[in-house]
Amino acid sequence: MALYNFKKIMVVPTAKDFIDLTLSKTQRKTPTVVHKHYQIHRIRHFYMRKVKFTQQNYHDRLSQILTDFPKLDDIHPFYADLMNVLYDKDHYKLALGQINIAKNLIDNVAKDYVRLMKYGDSLYRCKQLKRAALGRMCTILKRQKQSLEYLEQVRQHLSRLPTIDPNTRTLLLCGYPNVGKSSFINKVTRADVEVQPYAFTTKSLFVGHMDYKYLRWQVVDTPGILDHPLEERNTIEMQAITALAHLRAAVLYVMDLSEQCGHTLSQQLELFNSIRPLFANKPLIVMANKCDVRKISELSEENQKIIADLIAEGITVIETSSLTEEGVMQVKTEACDHLLAHRVNTKMKGKKVHDVLNRLHLAIPAKRDQKERPPFIPDGAMVRRKAMETDAPKRKLERDLEIELGDDYMLDLQKYWDLMNPDEKQDRIPEIWEGHNIADYIDPEIMKRLEDLEREEELREKAGEYDSEEESEDEEMQEIRQLASQIREKRKLKILESREKNTKGPRLPRTAKKVERGTLEKDMSDLGLDMTDKDDSHYAQRSRSLVRKRKREVSAPPTSRTRSQSASRPPRDQSGVRDAKMLKKVKVLMKGSQKEMNRQGKKGESDRHVFDLKPKHLFAGKRKSGSTSRR
Amino acid sequence: MRIEKCYFCSAPVYPGHGMAFVRNDCKVFQFCRSKCHKNFKKKRNPRKTRWTKAFRKASGKELTVDNSLEFEKRRNIPLKYNRELWSKTVEAMKKVEAIKQKRQSRFIVNRLKKGKELEKAADISEIKKNIHLIKAPHAGQAKQLEDKMVQKLAEDVEMDE
Repeated sequence: MALYNFKKIMVVPTAKDFIDLTLSKTQRKTPTVVHKHYQIHRIRHFYMRKVKFTQQNYHDRLSQILTDFPKLDDIHPFYADLMNVLYDKDHYKLALGQINIAKNLIDNVAKDYVRLMKYGDSLYRCKQLKRAALGRMCTILKRQKQSLEYLEQVRQHLSRLPTIDPNTRTLLLCGYPNVGKSSFINKVTRADVEVQPYAFTTKSLFVGHMDYKYLRWQVVDTPGILDHPLEERNTIEMQAITALAHLRAAVLYVMDLSEQCGHTLSQQLELFNSIRPLFANKPLIVMANKCDVRKISELSEENQKIIADLIAEGITVIETSSLTEEGVMQVKTEACDHLLAHRVNTKMKGKKVHDVLNRLHLAIPAKRDQKERPPFIPDGAMVRRKAMETDAPKRKLERDLEIELGDDYMLDLQKYWDLMNPDEKQDRIPEIWEGHNIADYIDPEIMKRLEDLEREEELREKAGEYDSEEESEDEEMQEIRQLASQIREKRKLKILESREKNTKGPRLPRTAKKVERGTLEKDMSDLGLDMTDKDDSHYAQRSRSLVRKRKREVSAPPTSRTRSQSASRPPRDQSGVRDAKMLKKVKVLMKGSQKEMNRQGKKGESDRHVFDLKPKHLFAGKRKSGSTSRR
Repeated sequence: MRIEKCYFCSAPVYPGHGMAFVRNDCKVFQFCRSKCHKNFKKKRNPRKTRWTKAFRKASGKELTVDNSLEFEKRRNIPLKYNRELWSKTVEAMKKVEAIKQKRQSRFIVNRLKKGKELEKAADISEIKKNIHLIKAPHAGQAKQLEDKMVQKLAEDVEMDE
């Protein structure tokens, strides 16, 4: 259906805008840099591309316009006629034709200039050709200014037309201006059409939707029609006529009984008769509107006769009043029923029906037995229905209770609980015990399972699983354990001692260290040996006497002279010293001479080492990475 | 109100403590503290993180299959409140808990028995190897020798007589 695409037509730009758009697009989307020294084919290609690009753009845009706008031959004749009425078919077709021509011209221009460009031999020539081509295309478009403007206006108006589906159920309202058509549609549907006392308030068609019998119905409100021949009708009236002519709808001809519209009943009848031909094959209802002002029975004799004539011809005449809504529903139901019947009839007469009819089968179930099967209504619903009807006092609500108790009111939802023992409703239910959720333990068979478990436990206990092992071990094991721990401790101590040794210094033989007698005896007695009277053991004698006691053996080689001499010479710090006083002085002198050396940390007299306390590489210069905040 | 289990360490999460995380596949993870939460975010496997209960159960350090453990189970069908059932349940819970504790500790003790035996054996071998550190091997031998000599002398004297 082309109906709904009226809103989707692309915007038609004005000529100036169109040109600007396309040219700027060409400027942006094609390469912009070209130099004289490029190879000629490259220059040609560059400019040809621009020409083709512009042509492509124009072509696309114009084609889109041409396809978007509906072709009057392709759409429903109602819309075709409507558009003719509103926009003039000829003008419309002409405008589109012009656009088409423009498109073709642009294509030709581009083709020609591209062909010419092949023979361009310099940048300047190619550039001029391109200029010429683009210029011509733009001029062609400039000439279409009027068409484009017209099409834009058509598009805007088209998109605002009401979406009337010509094939669905429709009710059409027609009559003189100011008779009450718009009021009627306002009453029956959700449409909000302007209602004013002056004529031609409604200037175009309006659609409203309503529901009846679970179906959607369109109600179309038309501008009023005056009684003059077709040729003299203006655009507004022609819309109404078009609607009447093309829509297969139920027609509601509205008459004003009170003649407030400014036309007498006979004039209205005249109009009715003149449009009569348009009502062929359409269910017709005459609405005698504004009956709150004047009823049919209050009419004059002639007017009553007019009405009677109408009824005699078989046309339904219903008294209505849009103001008091009298008869509005009746009109609605009558019109809808008539139209549905009419539609069904036409369908039955058509050809398509038989395809459907062959496949349809109405199944009427026959009674199986004489058993009565009335509908089931639960008791609660029956009670409630009765309560509604008799307006009995309702049950007491919480709110009532709240008001009654005032300040003392406590919301207690536990009273609504549906428990097995209703007297437990006010219990406070325990949820947690010692880190476990009670809800995880609840089981109807819990007691049984507990019994099984306890039985099992008893069996286990009997089997001796829980007997504590011999915690008191025999004394032997305790002793063993104690000894073992002592051994371990001793080992650790030895390890620590050995760690304190200085392994980096000179490795002296064991005999260099003097072993104290006391420590030796202590260690040995710790190990369990008896060290009580060892005074005459070999280690308890003084070392000197040890040397003296040792007999020199005959086979031993003679010791050197220096050795024997050094044995008899006094030590250097005692030679030449006469007495204790001198010894003291000597010592003081010695210390004095050593002071300076010691202060400087020198190893001895001959130590000439110069320490480099402030090496330059650490105290000056920049660092490669990192800061020099520490020196 | 429920006490949840921490997904990572299986500790109880009391109301008002810990954090819950809901993943896009609608799985909810409760954590007892940020330690577990952070470990979870680091994608650590609780079955391999040694301090969690999940590890202990997975590596057989704690009792896993037992009847007393079947009592505490998350039930999806709630039962209507019934005073006597509830009170019975609470009593049963206490008893079950006692039995459970007993069994769990027994399990651990059994597991550690082997260690005790190994300890004993280690002690004995230690003594055998390193007794010299605290007791000299020939500790009482001098005395013994003396005694023997004295005895021998006495015998000799006797013999002479």
